[in-house]
Amino acid sequence: MDKRPFRSDVDFVVRIGGEAGEGVISCGELFAQAAARTEYHVFTYITYPAEIRGGFSMVQVRIRDWTIYSMGNEIDYLVAFNQEAYDRAAASLKKGGMLIYDPDAVTVHEAPDSVFHPIPLNRIARETTGGTQAKNVVALRALGHLFDINPETLKKLVRDRFGKKAADVIEKNIKALDAGYAIGQKSGWDRRFHLSSELEAKTRYMMLSGNEAVALGAIAAGCRFVAGYPITPATAVFETLCKLMPRVGGRAVQMEDEIASISAIIGASFGGEKVITATSGPGLQLMGEQLNLAAMTELPIVIVDVQRGGPSTGLPTKTEQSDLNFAVHGLTGDSPRVVLAPATVEDCFYQTMRAFNISERFQVPVIILSDQSIGFRRATVRLPDFDQIREIEWRNITDSPVIPSATKTELASRIEPTSEELGNYLRFRYTPDGVSPITRPGTPGGQYLATGLEHTEKGTPDYSPEVHHKMTTKRFRKLEVLSSLFEKNPPEYYGSRDAKIGVIGWGSTEGAIREARYMAEKEGVLVRHLHPKVISPLPDRQIRYFLAELKHVLIVEENFTGQFAHFISGKFGIRPIEVHKCQGLPITSREVYASIMKVARITDEQNITRL
Amino acid sequence: MSRTLQDYKSSVKPIWCPGCGNYGVFKAIQQAFFDLDLAPENIAMVSGIGCSGRISHFFNAYSLHGTHGRAVPTALGIKAARPDLHVLAVGGDGDGLSIGGGHISHAARKNADFTYILLDNEIYGLTKGQASPTTPLDVRTKTSPYGVYESPMDAIPVFVAYEASFVARTSAIQVPEMTEVIRRAIAHKGFSIVYVLTPCVTYPVLDAKTLKSKISPLPADHPRGDRLKAIERGYSTDPVFTGVFYEIDKPTLGDHLEEQIRGRGGDQVEDELEMIKKLLYGYT
Repeated sequence: MDKRPFRSDVDFVVRIGGEAGEGVISCGELFAQAAARTEYHVFTYITYPAEIRGGFSMVQVRIRDWTIYSMGNEIDYLVAFNQEAYDRAAASLKKGGMLIYDPDAVTVHEAPDSVFHPIPLNRIARETTGGTQAKNVVALRALGHLFDINPETLKKLVRDRFGKKAADVIEKNIKALDAGYAIGQKSGWDRRFHLSSELEAKTRYMMLSGNEAVALGAIAAGCRFVAGYPITPATAVFETLCKLMPRVGGRAVQMEDEIASISAIIGASFGGEKVITATSGPGLQLMGEQLNLAAMTELPIVIVDVQRGGPSTGLPTKTEQSDLNFAVHGLTGDSPRVVLAPATVEDCFYQTMRAFNISERFQVPVIILSDQSIGFRRATVRLPDFDQIREIEWRNITDSPVIPSATKTELASRIEPTSEELGNYLRFRYTPDGVSPITRPGTPGGQYLATGLEHTEKGTPDYSPEVHHKMTTKRFRKLEVLSSLFEKNPPEYYGSRDAKIGVIGWGSTEGAIREARYMAEKEGVLVRHLHPKVISPLPDRQIRYFLAELKHVLIVEENFTGQFAHFISGKFGIRPIEVHKCQGLPITSREVYASIMKVARITDEQNITRL
Repeated sequence: MSRTLQDYKSSVKPIWCPGCGNYGVFKAIQQAFFDLDLAPENIAMVSGIGCSGRISHFFNAYSLHGTHGRAVPTALGIKAARPDLHVLAVGGDGDGLSIGGGHISHAARKNADFTYILLDNEIYGLTKGQASPTTPLDVRTKTSPYGVYESPMDAIPVFVAYEASFVARTSAIQVPEMTEVIRRAIAHKGFSIVYVLTPCVTYPVLDAKTLKSKISPLPADHPRGDRLKAIERGYSTDPVFTGVFYEIDKPTLGDHLEEQIRGRGGDQVEDELEMIKKLLYGYT
């Protein structure tokens, strides 16, 4: 292995596919982790079936010299453990790409412009370790050789991963590594990319999944209580928090269902803590009634919904953006809440902090709409600069905490009553911004009743017409104020102002749309791209301004009915071109690009800038 | 500073029917608070939906009147996050045995350190007289016009089987005994259940006179650590025993969570930010 200088023309995709249970995911993840220890950026996409064994699993790893926005379109290196992995991806193999496959398991049709490299993974694993289980490690080491990865890095990663298993398992894996190395040496591969660097080469970056980023964002925001119930694909948020909470003096409790989970966080929030729970579509629905309790009692809670294919049990391990309707509108009664949608893994970290700021400052439930593709995606993320995170005492808070970002983050806390206000404490006092000071239990004189019944400023139940109208107004006043604060934020649109074609997306599709825009711009088609992180309440004026300049608007989303498109067209009276993908898979930049170009063709010639 | 019973009352006047057993429960809980000298600001009271659910309105405490059936997990959340508070949950037979029945076993498994007071009047009162899980067989209500055919629930043996660490039954017609039981339940370390038979005057499925004739205190030598004996006496309908059926000592949810925090491998959390930094660097 030589230490090679950093190259600025690196961008390639490796896909590893096979039967679930064959170790495909660990092979891909370990490879990605090893790659992430170099100066290069890494982005993974993982899909697997809902069953523990059987069905198709795959990891796609994209490696690049610069920020990666999407999983990529074509495959440079395909590793096929079984026939299905080959059949599904053969057509996407790039010209000049390489296929590594097990000749005992896969029948291939040689293509003249690709390099085919058979490695009998099963046989080698059986010969060296006595079983086929370690074939993924054989493949990993062969890949390691192909990309000139430091063997010590791989050894360490394998040890870390399987370290808790029995000694003979580790020994088998080390043997498998050696066998993989021997294959690599014999192969005479022409290395195109060198992922060689020192073990600790990169410290400014970390390799995170979207789910882990949410968990870490919560911890960084000061959240010290989590209650949850396992549900794919949100479980990793809860698991990460279970592991980390005690280490920062916090508490994590697994509950008996989602209703109990949200009840427990409402209780803990009533107790004065910053709280979170993580769930997916079916769980979010179960939480509906309690979500309204939090809205009515004005208790801050944060819920992350890692969306999966629906309805019902649907596609538990696949991605979809189809919970928007429920998150934004889906409850009985008029109930204010805020919905955020992070766009990247890194954004998961900052939007989670933002969710806590909004929730704590405005005493509203905040739903973070993530999804399987972003939750399972692993990417190299810049380490946040902790000198830029400051906790702001509520007395000193400006009306608008900054949007958390790598450059600056403020952490908001709850507004408490002054000692004078405690004299005749009105928990739900009518204020100009609708936010009433809240006490922490244990504060003498701060006792109050929080009830799901309509209530007066004091908290006493009251069903009179005046009180219901006044208190509903108060609760929605908070959203009005928030909406006007969001207007003041920098607009979330990109691309030329001369563009006549606009694309609106939300959540995890940001990277694919961004790349599609770059591709279109290369072809001389200018595109404006709006990607609001706040889904509700929307910054109306900003969006009107965006829409006013455009001739055609595409709304791109991963669902069947066009939930965001209907939300936008209902609000702003436009008729967008709706682009839906409902296959349980993330939309690719190629697909978005194709839609843009279709629209470009029907757009007036003068609106297209030819280069 | 000396407190009076009045210190535990809020300005909201109870809205129960005159003669309702819940008045007695309200009084007993206040008395227990007073006897244990609890500061109102350190009490968190959660209640569910139904006549009994209103009880949290009438206390001067940090009160959370939540949704139907969810008082137990809500109270558990408060106690888990704020072990310094005294937490009580109150609900009815519909709340605790029907819609929210599934939560009790888990609060018992975790042995979360709070007191759950279950008020059983054998009817849905607030919705004006429908059958509840404890309405006796053949009783005609608005939703059982031809008589109840479901077996009424025997909750005490179930709670003991759940391994709740304190299980007691009492009745609203014997306020001094009830006060004593509630006091012991609050003082108990772990999940304590006080099952209160409380007559409804408007829908008198369970009337005070019959109740009085049926109940009898547990024998003085009742072995409170004996699970089988507790179950056996819990099943008895003649007489219906009152008192503490079961009482054991085991680590609480709070103990476990505290243990996790203390046992974090020698890391000292002096500077939380430093700790978070460390955690994040673990992902590089």
